[in-house]
Amino acid sequence: MPDFEPIVGRYITVDIGGEKHRLFVEEAGKGIPLVCLHTAGNDSRQFRHVMNDKSVTDRFRVVAFDMPYHGRSTPPDKWWLKKPRLTTKLYLETIRAVWKALGLDRPVVMGCSMGGAIVLKVAADHQNEIRGIVGLESSAYAPGRYNDFLHHPAIHGGELCASYTYGLNSPDSPEQNRRENWWYYSQSGPGVYQGDVHFYSNDWDAREDIKTIDTTRCKVALLTGEFDYSCTPEMTEQVAATIAGARYTLMKRMGHFPMIENYPDFRPYLLDALDHVAT
Amino acid sequence: MSDFPGTSWFERYVTRVNADPEMGVIGEWLSTTFTLTFGDARHAFVVDKGRIVSVIASPRFDVRAPFGFRAPVEVWRKFLSPNPPPLFHDFFAMLMRVPEFVIEGDSLIAMQNARALHRMMNIMRETGAPHA
Repeated sequence: MPDFEPIVGRYITVDIGGEKHRLFVEEAGKGIPLVCLHTAGNDSRQFRHVMNDKSVTDRFRVVAFDMPYHGRSTPPDKWWLKKPRLTTKLYLETIRAVWKALGLDRPVVMGCSMGGAIVLKVAADHQNEIRGIVGLESSAYAPGRYNDFLHHPAIHGGELCASYTYGLNSPDSPEQNRRENWWYYSQSGPGVYQGDVHFYSNDWDAREDIKTIDTTRCKVALLTGEFDYSCTPEMTEQVAATIAGARYTLMKRMGHFPMIENYPDFRPYLLDALDHVAT
Repeated sequence: MSDFPGTSWFERYVTRVNADPEMGVIGEWLSTTFTLTFGDARHAFVVDKGRIVSVIASPRFDVRAPFGFRAPVEVWRKFLSPNPPPLFHDFFAMLMRVPEFVIEGDSLIAMQNARALHRMMNIMRETGAPHA
């Protein structure tokens, strides 16, 4: 028998904002649905360790998908006539479209970076329909990452985006893992990372929304790495201080990409957070 | 004028860059001159196909350097320390979060070479602290 991993990938077409999108979805495990949202300009491969962890998949049906334009998902029709520009509204619609198409009942929604941001909005707007959120590197407001060079004809976008994000890893995380994430970043299409950063740094501001999250209905666990300079620990502390009952944990010696840069060290934090939100 | 990080450190750094296997793979396109300014001490690094061919202390105006990085010695000292604190562990981190760390000149040329340049900056850290 081939030594296959338990992850199974498939394609599904969903309607997002009136447009058909063919998306790649991969999953592993059985139990409580756990939707995983990748970082800007990346794709669901970042969650391969989570989906290969039996301690998670024995309890959770882990579902990770590539956003439109990302990874193995197809860009929308006439993509060549529009700039990829993610917005809060579009991002939320995308998550809802996948969640509904797969018929996920009261999922836990976990995201990292821009995914860690949008889960706050998912909790604010849909707190009666989910068990809770796990926000990795979550901020309610994160200006400063957007710049024109991220999509520029005189610059190799893949190499710049990958290098620009490489330092967001902790210097202590294994080089092989940091380099793997570099590789994924180098593979995003022209302007895709910049379009995501447009959401993250220009469009996103949930400082008022998060005040409405009721943690007796929707549990909130927040995990942020000590070496994250995009979403600093102080930025997540502000989120935690605003949401009564939110649980925040600083991950020492960790960076911005815990699930891919250093899964062994991330794992205890993750299991603890999942226990918190799933009970 | 500050002598940080010192002649012996520069020698170790140049040796490491020029022997670095990754620079051997990605350095081919990096032919330029950039400056690093440690406090009030400015040095020009002349790079040809990813190899440092000379380090010029206090370069005069006839040394053309399209871009460079400047910071107080205390910032560089943190960057080069064995366990740099968060925000001082990477040059892109410092560009975003440490206001005293400044890119000078034509940043387009710097970012066209982002991969090799980033590797060279990381080799600075791997070279270790000065006078170690």
